[in-house]
Amino acid sequence: MRRREVVQFLGAALALPFIPRNAETAIQLGERVHRRLADVPFRTLGPAQRQLVTTIAEMIIPETDTPGATTVKVPEFIDLILTEWASDEERTAFLAGLADIDARAATLGSARFVELAPAKKTELLTDLDTRREDKAGAGLAFSRLKALTVYGYFTSKPVQQDVLHTLMYFNGYDGNVPFTPQV
Amino acid sequence: MANTYDAIVVGSGISGGWAAKELTEHGLKTIVLEAGRPIDPATDYVDHVMTFEKRYRGMGNRNQLERYQPIQSQCGACDEYASKFFVNDLDNPYSTPEGKPFSWIRGRQVGGKSIMWGRCVFRWSDLDYEANAKEGIAVDWPLRYADMAPWWSHVEKFVGVQGRHEGLAHLPDGEFLKPWPMNAAEQKGREVLQTKFNGERLITNMRLAVITEDHLGRQKCHLCGNCHRGCITLSYFSSINSTLPAAKKTGNLTLRPFSVVHSVIYDPATKRATGVRVVDGNTREMFEVKARLIFLCASALESTRIMLNSATAEFPDGLGNTSGELGHNLMDHIMGGGATGTLPWAKDRREVGRRPDAIYVPRFRNVKTKHPDFQRGYGFEGRASRPGWDRGAYANGFGAGFKKSLIGDLGPWEMSFDGFGEMLPRHENYISIDKHLVDAWGIPALHVNCSYSENELKMQNDMVVTASEMLEAMGATDIRTFKENNAPGLVIHETGTARMGRDPKTSVLNSHNQVWDVPNVFMTDGACMTSTANQNPSITYMALTARAVAYAVGQMKRREL
Repeated sequence: MRRREVVQFLGAALALPFIPRNAETAIQLGERVHRRLADVPFRTLGPAQRQLVTTIAEMIIPETDTPGATTVKVPEFIDLILTEWASDEERTAFLAGLADIDARAATLGSARFVELAPAKKTELLTDLDTRREDKAGAGLAFSRLKALTVYGYFTSKPVQQDVLHTLMYFNGYDGNVPFTPQV
Repeated sequence: MANTYDAIVVGSGISGGWAAKELTEHGLKTIVLEAGRPIDPATDYVDHVMTFEKRYRGMGNRNQLERYQPIQSQCGACDEYASKFFVNDLDNPYSTPEGKPFSWIRGRQVGGKSIMWGRCVFRWSDLDYEANAKEGIAVDWPLRYADMAPWWSHVEKFVGVQGRHEGLAHLPDGEFLKPWPMNAAEQKGREVLQTKFNGERLITNMRLAVITEDHLGRQKCHLCGNCHRGCITLSYFSSINSTLPAAKKTGNLTLRPFSVVHSVIYDPATKRATGVRVVDGNTREMFEVKARLIFLCASALESTRIMLNSATAEFPDGLGNTSGELGHNLMDHIMGGGATGTLPWAKDRREVGRRPDAIYVPRFRNVKTKHPDFQRGYGFEGRASRPGWDRGAYANGFGAGFKKSLIGDLGPWEMSFDGFGEMLPRHENYISIDKHLVDAWGIPALHVNCSYSENELKMQNDMVVTASEMLEAMGATDIRTFKENNAPGLVIHETGTARMGRDPKTSVLNSHNQVWDVPNVFMTDGACMTSTANQNPSITYMALTARAVAYAVGQMKRREL
């Protein structure tokens, strides 16, 4: 491999997000955005819950060469759904689940999830990802958070328009178009 | 005289639009009375609104839906974009017995449910028309395929139906426009099933009232995939896109929205109807409209409700109810049985364009051999698709790699088969007037008493089995079966309650949809059906309507009406 290619390769690798660091960065970015957009207050999630939701949403879909969950306002979307769409029971269960996530963080050495070391955060989320069928607690909250993060992210305007390049109409149908995954 | 026309059409949906077109083209001055509001495609059609333009990103305004449309929102099309095309359940009440729900899905606006209908259109065959007589169930249809074939052709040519010629005796081909091709995964599935089931279970293209080429002034489909929200290029058939403009062009059409028909006015001296009583949807004032000819096309249950609310001294149990069958033999289809699986092939292929509907598996039960568990049969609607980013909600993982795979990969092809089966006509499934309940316009409301029988439930069990067998034959993995416990009505193919027949003692309508007892009243929507077959019914209502109009106009010319 020629040196130039090696530099490019490493450069590309370094440009990839280091997930936890990126989440912290994204929170700061997100908070700046929120201060500018004070007309979208959080109505259900308190400051600590909002920080927790934002941290996890950004860990699920981090900022890379494309925007992350925070930039496209997934936490605001989740707060809207919790406030206006979810039933009282669903909201209560979700918030209790968030508290349970912090309780689990405590067993890993920190009072709050957001204060865990990056590796510990990943460890806890990896565990919760296997508990998405749980009917209550941290597993349930993570399951809802993940579904809403994915949905909120991919239905957002920046992602629809600039990442997915979604078209609303076509000149014809072709069900046999060659495809190579870009992963 | 003001308010007097040659013909009245009650309802402007699939059937009413056709009645209006045919009557006006025969030169009759026709008024269409529509209970709901007018629709303006320029502002009401929202097919290209994107998810992020909606407050709940298409998840629906749940509080509003639960409060005002708890029944309507059981239908998936009653969503954040299109819920405005479904009625307010509080204004339009009906009752059901304790523990026997019925999901009555309704659209009250110009165009009716033709705005958000499923658009699947199939002919019947004599397998369907002869079934009642051969099995001794209900009464015989007064029709056979030969009576209907020219009328299906007549309506298909105007509607624009895409489909694939298969030459099946029990699912006859029609006047087809070329269909969109199957996608790579479906095509492979078709080939595999042909080998493994000897052609008995066939994957064919959906027969669909969506045009693949420009047709009679309407533009070909642009594949946005959002038909139930309206269509700015008028590419699918609806009253608004097709029949009502044709009727308007004749100069013989008067369309009056906000006109809730209360009842038919009967003159015992002439033994004819003279018109209808109408409640103005806005002012609640009642007025009358007169005509020589009346077509009830208000939807199966609404048309019969009007007849039940038209009782007279001569017809104390509802107008035209000498037989005692008015209101009875209510049917729907049964759905909610089938399976989904992950296909092993075509990973290097994807789709461009969003087809509104994809494939169909025609009925294969009780066609050549008799099934031991149930009578009649079912077909499968289906498709193969790749989930794309949607799978992120249920896939394992998170982080940069997870995100990248959701953006850069599509997931494997998933094939699904969802059965739609015939429901037998049974006298004990009925509607009647609830003496203690009125709607927002003061009109007595319906009591609906309907349930599936063992025959339908056994059929639904079989859907699960045969869908799984087909997926297994394809080598699919992760096969997920489903069997839903839906209330009847939710298929939105409610039919019957004023059946056609050969004998006025046992049926409400004759072979031309004419009320035996009141010959200038015709019922040509789903109310007329003597059985349901398993095919989606709307194109049959269209054909029956056009056929009935031709007959009625002939009778008028001969001074028989």
